[in-house]
Amino acid sequence: MSQLTFEQINSAVLTTLIKPTPRYWRFVGLAFVGILIFLGCWAYQLSMGLGVAGMNTPVHWGTYLINFVFWVGIAHSGTLISAILFLFRAGWRNPIARAAETMTVFAVMIAGMYPLIHLGRVWVVFYMLPLPNQRFLWPNFQSPLIFDIVAISTYFTVSSMFWYTGMVPDFAIIRDRAEGVRKKIFSALALGWTGETGQWLNYSRGYLLFAGLATPLVISVHSVVSWDFALGVTPGWHTTIFAPYFVAGAIHSGLAMVLTLMIPLRKLFHYEKIITVEVLESVAKTIIFTGLIVGFAYGTEIFIAWYSRSIVEMESFWWRAFGDYDIQYWIMVICNTAIPLLFLIKKIRTRIIPLFIISIFVNIGMWMERFVIIIGSVAHDFLPNAWGHYSPTPIEFVFMLGGFCIFIFLFLLFAKHLPSVSMTEMKELIHHEEEHHEH
Amino acid sequence: MSTETTTITGLFDTESATLSAVREIQAQGWKVKEVHSPIPSDKLAAALNRKKSVIGWFTLTGGVTGFISGFSLAIFAATRWSLIVGGKPIVSWIPFFVIAFEFTILFAVLGNVAGLVTQIGIPAKMGANYHPDCSGSVYGVLAESTPEDAEKLRLLLQNKGATTP
Amino acid sequence: MNSAITQHPAAGFKPVLLIFTFLAGAGFLYFVYLATGSHPEKAWLVFLVNFLLFTSLSLGALLFSTIMHFTQAKWCQRLAGVAEAFSAFFPVSLVLFLVLFLGRSHLFTWIGEDLHGKEAWLNIPFLFTRILVGLAILYGLGIGYVVHSLKFRLSRKQDITRLKQFLFNRWQDPSTGLDKTKRHMTFLAGWYMFAFALVLALVGFDLVMSMDPHWYSTLFGAYTFIKAIYAGFGALIIAAAVLHLSSANRFTLSGSQFRDLSTLFFGFAIVWGDFFYAQFLVIWYGNIPEETTYIIERTMTSPWSSIAWAVFLVCFIMPFVVLLRGKFKETPQFMIVICSLVITGFWLEHFLLLAPNYLHGAHGFPIGINEVVITIGFLSLFALSVILYLKQFPDLLESEAGEVV
Repeated sequence: MSQLTFEQINSAVLTTLIKPTPRYWRFVGLAFVGILIFLGCWAYQLSMGLGVAGMNTPVHWGTYLINFVFWVGIAHSGTLISAILFLFRAGWRNPIARAAETMTVFAVMIAGMYPLIHLGRVWVVFYMLPLPNQRFLWPNFQSPLIFDIVAISTYFTVSSMFWYTGMVPDFAIIRDRAEGVRKKIFSALALGWTGETGQWLNYSRGYLLFAGLATPLVISVHSVVSWDFALGVTPGWHTTIFAPYFVAGAIHSGLAMVLTLMIPLRKLFHYEKIITVEVLESVAKTIIFTGLIVGFAYGTEIFIAWYSRSIVEMESFWWRAFGDYDIQYWIMVICNTAIPLLFLIKKIRTRIIPLFIISIFVNIGMWMERFVIIIGSVAHDFLPNAWGHYSPTPIEFVFMLGGFCIFIFLFLLFAKHLPSVSMTEMKELIHHEEEHHEH
Repeated sequence: MSTETTTITGLFDTESATLSAVREIQAQGWKVKEVHSPIPSDKLAAALNRKKSVIGWFTLTGGVTGFISGFSLAIFAATRWSLIVGGKPIVSWIPFFVIAFEFTILFAVLGNVAGLVTQIGIPAKMGANYHPDCSGSVYGVLAESTPEDAEKLRLLLQNKGATTP
Repeated sequence: MNSAITQHPAAGFKPVLLIFTFLAGAGFLYFVYLATGSHPEKAWLVFLVNFLLFTSLSLGALLFSTIMHFTQAKWCQRLAGVAEAFSAFFPVSLVLFLVLFLGRSHLFTWIGEDLHGKEAWLNIPFLFTRILVGLAILYGLGIGYVVHSLKFRLSRKQDITRLKQFLFNRWQDPSTGLDKTKRHMTFLAGWYMFAFALVLALVGFDLVMSMDPHWYSTLFGAYTFIKAIYAGFGALIIAAAVLHLSSANRFTLSGSQFRDLSTLFFGFAIVWGDFFYAQFLVIWYGNIPEETTYIIERTMTSPWSSIAWAVFLVCFIMPFVVLLRGKFKETPQFMIVICSLVITGFWLEHFLLLAPNYLHGAHGFPIGINEVVITIGFLSLFALSVILYLKQFPDLLESEAGEVV
């Protein structure tokens, strides 16, 4: 990385912003068609009611909630990379920070969409907001569902501002080299940034504060999401380990999504010198760590279920492994804890294809984990005559794919129109490394 | 006394060249008005005697406001009808803390943004002496002198390795 | 020049060593006196509290070095050398654990109780064996890591102490195979961290949570090792600050190193607070009597509630509010005070978790002169181990100490 010059970085990133090919627009169009189908299904659900989804007594929380938790989880590792690793001064974050932060912003938006879908009558969402009304009705701030609203909207606001602030110096670079309409747009976006020393002083301080604030926010948001489940008394849900377990799991799935996104991105945009294999390897090593935490949580839950001598707890955890949803359970365990251990082998974590394949497995496993936790507990709780079954309907599958289509659509648009690698942070990294070599 | 000043721009490729040039210019008695750089530099900021950033105070104010607002909102909402929900006390600090915490972060970030906007002065009008390469890879030093000394200043910059457009 | 170096470390340490040895011995004797008295469970309770606290401190402090090595962080090499000094307490801790066996009938209130099937896990032979094996493995990994690291840090040019001579003999030529040593260190560091999490979780479940055999919390194991990291870093800061301020050695830390270390401490204060809150919120909200009786007794009945509030204030509120201000993080004297208070808070926290199991119907304040004397004895034993280690390897405190390349 030290062989790169500032100008090489500039050109490597700026060439990705030239006029896109028709092939690109075909992919965008495909994603857009997916979005239209998704919107059509949503219109269908709005007209027919929530019954078109598979939820029914006793399982009232289905794939909409699973997808909600899944996408919030994806969002988290973006902030881990851009904020938390910034605080730890880990240089390997610089090449991927921009794309990771973008992933966060889009993922939070998609995540926030699912509770709205799940509402059924979306137009009464304002009931949940603290808006003055004639009947003096206010939300119940004791409820974890309201915590969620506050937490997710805070997360979205903070991430968007952090994302934008990070891009301002890069917008200035594009402004200074563009012409015509693009120059006008980026002049507006760059807000007159000129890189004066006073500006940089304040900018660096503001950025550090952003990172320092985003870090506790990440931990709190997914803890709040976990408390949607843990604060109830349902067996398998009411357990104290949920908050750190969910946070670790979120980072686990998010890092896997980072690999899934970065590997094609770097190939298509010829970023191999910037997003080097060492960077991807660092991501893989972190996945080993988060996988171990998730494994520890699984083991602890099972142990305590036995230790508690509560027949309800013991039945709940036995059923997860051997009941109606045993396939999902074992996919979860193998994909989340066993397969990431393959990254311990250097050959596997330094080759692109294994990195990509394992990242897909981890994503599948983490989706299954949310399935096992949400469905597995609600379908099989205290009273045997209240036990039930749940299968997602085709409509729910469309909603799930729709989330992915929205994400791909937005990310494709981002990659070709905004700088997908932070040129400024890459230059800072090179400068820092040069200074170290001099000493 | 003549109050006219001419601004000469010198473009450098590295931070170290820029620093030594800035120090040399200041040693000769001229003023370095500004340096435009592609990446932040503590040393340049120190050489130009820039004051430390006060954004932190904006953030802290926001954070404290948020903490109080979060609790206030939750307590206000609960005490309108004072209904006992789920067997919990009407004003229960333990769950309300989550709301206060999120509001702390939110308002602290809003304060941070307010600080950034006011302290950096964005959206800003770009000065006429800004050279567009400075965002990319070049350090632009803006030095001021009287019109009579302009040539001497230009020579000095060129001696230190700058291109002077 | 060499003679000047050989003289001063010994001179500075002698009276301190004597004082600590005396205090440790006095504490031990007093403990024996109490344990053979009319309320042996009180003596054993204090023993357990101190065993847990000081074991956590030593494990957490060494963790600093293993993390820094594993992540190839370069800013804190000499600090890592001081962190490794805490491994000197490991053998002491193992012996103390064996002593715990003698007090088992007083400590484990569930012996003989009908535990509805839990006896498969909660029985004395299995419990002591698994913890002993766990500690042995953990300590073995830690000491192995430290011995390998010493290969880099020691130099033949400094005065040769007995232990150094022993190590040099074993290594033949310490300057060869440094690459291999580094790989071994990374291997041992990784397994140490893995074992740290598992063994401390086990210790938390078996020696603290199960003292009330009817209560459980899945986060308790992780909570235990987070406590160890937080408090262990505090102990490291105290050691580093004391050595920095002391004129008897040439160990110094730069302001930015200190600030980074204090920032890490601040970060873990928040992590600990978060883990505490995660347990508290879930149990409070669910309001299930199986879970809440434990919490209610410890946080809402007297005399325990005042201790609980003290723990909360000292271990979280105080470090959070104070360390928000950057200046304090760079002042060693200040950090010594803060970290000492936090570790005292953790003593109280361990006491708070364990004592209500033994002191039923306690009147008045449960902490008195007995607890203080025995605790000072333990503290002296702990300090003694670290000081003796540093005496054996004075190279660690020199400004040209070898660094792990």
